[in-house]
Amino acid sequence: MALFVARLFYMQIIQHDRYVAAAEQEQVKSLVVKADRGEIYALDNGKPVKLVLNENVYTVFADPIEVKDPEAITKAVKEIAGGTAVKDIEKLVVDKPSRYKILAKNVSRNQAKLLREKQLAGLGFQKTTRRIHPEGKLASQVLGFVNAEGVGQYGIEEGLDDQLTGTDGMLKSVTDVRNVPLTVGNNNVRVPAKDGKNVVLSIDRNIQAYTEKALYDEMKKIGATKGSVIVMDPQSGKVLSMANLPDYNPEKYTTVMNGAAFNNSVITAPYEPGSVIKTFTVATALDKGVITPTSKFNNSDTISVEDIVIKNANLGITGDITMQAALSWSLNTGMVTIAQRLGDGKNITYDARKTMYTYLHDKFKLGEKTGIELAGEQAGNIISPDTVQGNAVRYSNMSFGQGMNPTMLQVASGFSSIVNGGRYYKPTVVAGEVTSDGSFKKTNSTLLDGGTISQESSDTARDMIREARNQFYAEGDKPGYDIGGKTGTSETLVDDSYTEDQTVGTYLGYGGDTAPKYVIMVQASAPGKALGGRDVVPIFTSISNWMIDYMKLQPKG
Amino acid sequence: MTYQRSTTYNRRSGSMRRNQNSVAYSSAVKLGPVTHTVLVALMITVLGLIYLTQATKATAYDYEAQGIDDKIAEMQSEKTDLEVENARLTALEAVQDSAVAKSMEAPKETNNLR
Repeated sequence: MALFVARLFYMQIIQHDRYVAAAEQEQVKSLVVKADRGEIYALDNGKPVKLVLNENVYTVFADPIEVKDPEAITKAVKEIAGGTAVKDIEKLVVDKPSRYKILAKNVSRNQAKLLREKQLAGLGFQKTTRRIHPEGKLASQVLGFVNAEGVGQYGIEEGLDDQLTGTDGMLKSVTDVRNVPLTVGNNNVRVPAKDGKNVVLSIDRNIQAYTEKALYDEMKKIGATKGSVIVMDPQSGKVLSMANLPDYNPEKYTTVMNGAAFNNSVITAPYEPGSVIKTFTVATALDKGVITPTSKFNNSDTISVEDIVIKNANLGITGDITMQAALSWSLNTGMVTIAQRLGDGKNITYDARKTMYTYLHDKFKLGEKTGIELAGEQAGNIISPDTVQGNAVRYSNMSFGQGMNPTMLQVASGFSSIVNGGRYYKPTVVAGEVTSDGSFKKTNSTLLDGGTISQESSDTARDMIREARNQFYAEGDKPGYDIGGKTGTSETLVDDSYTEDQTVGTYLGYGGDTAPKYVIMVQASAPGKALGGRDVVPIFTSISNWMIDYMKLQPKG
Repeated sequence: MTYQRSTTYNRRSGSMRRNQNSVAYSSAVKLGPVTHTVLVALMITVLGLIYLTQATKATAYDYEAQGIDDKIAEMQSEKTDLEVENARLTALEAVQDSAVAKSMEAPKETNNLR
């Protein structure tokens, strides 16, 4: 009796904590309550529409030890799961002593239900979630994808991964043998899951779809293999469309052979934009008061800067000509002259270079990350005049868009401020969020302090850019609208030296009625092909005309 | 005139103390120690049964709650499936490929109202 009491005392008093812990381990289960990943919306005439959704799918597996009727399982899985079933199910279901063999992946809820109803011993189901892209390839580089580990890759999926992911909850409770949580016990914990944020993009799916189609159609005509377009609202900095070709289907990202297709070149590929930068040079000069559209300079097709001679692409427009003509005819000599006039009138002095740098880098924000919500944005580069490389020759080249590396997004954002009255809006692809009650909460645009140029300079620059388009490229435009733009052709580096045989064609312009309503920047290229700005003008024209109808703009007159 | 105390009074007051019953009744039923033990055991059993019924009731509610949770999850899953289906059916490509869209004509002329 004494021994019995002593043993009881030992177990109940001395080893109390140990047995309580053992009992808890057996009875109390800690379950993770998975948070749903936030969905991604685009806009459709201002209303959010789902672009990326979550779908519940199941992984069907067999426990060969528990399997009683292998033939029945094989038949049922093949019949019901169809294309999602793996090969050689017959062998897998009898592959003992394994306890886990996947028979089908991404099985729909209805398929899983049908399989469950058959009550086949040894057949199990695991619920998972996958991302669905009902619009297929649309805006693929903007969206990115979610990898097998549930982590966002590229685009907004990576850029806003933290916000989209949400926070898993926890349920710690005594459970029965079927893992049903019971309220008995004093240490139950229930932390609800916090679902990820539902992000609404500023991308309009109709504009995006048309942009992609126009880019594809025109690229085919001119033989380009790579192309990009960005459409922005210059009055808010919101990106309405961002397209790149080649593209891919995010639902089939594992089949992509060339990883470059994942990149959104509009933000990840800084390049020499070429003559479209002349609009920036002209705007700077107008704002500094060193030129007017009618200011004249003597053009002789070439101009010397230190030990180099700069030539025009368009020859023969010589003599005393206006700055408007310099912009319209895209004369490099005119832009170098402006750079000189920002200095002492004859040389691109340090002060001239400092002024150009202040405008290009500090005001128009070329060569620095914009902070857009997409992954992989590159800063590019604008050489400072305070470095050895920032000499007069460099800045003479920069005046017509060479010797610098901004991204298309930076150029389009800076250009938006040139045509909108000098206000620089931080570019964004986010229009707001859809809250848990289903309402659309809009995000305000961010207007950066300081501005870029005066309203007067902006008005004049816009007039000059409109005239530049009207002179050569306005034939296909809808009449009665305010449309302007500038071509750009940039040589590319082949074996470390510039070549004229492989050039990138760019066009940058705006359109609107009483005020600019959209800014479009287009770029196209192909290996071994000399594509110029004029080659990509039809892409701009096609999108511009469509935008006028889509935005229901009223013609003047 | 003089007063005399009664004899009875004198007798009672002599033996009485504060808070002490002056009358005692003896029960006709006598409970022994075994009966007491049985009664205590019965009481413990009743209390145990009460606890057990309450705990079982709570557990029954747990199963009911779990059943409702499962139903909610099932309906949520169904809603998600329908949303996916809806998104697929209203996708631009699906709309463009629809018979209605194919039978539409592009406008020949666009006039703007002022």
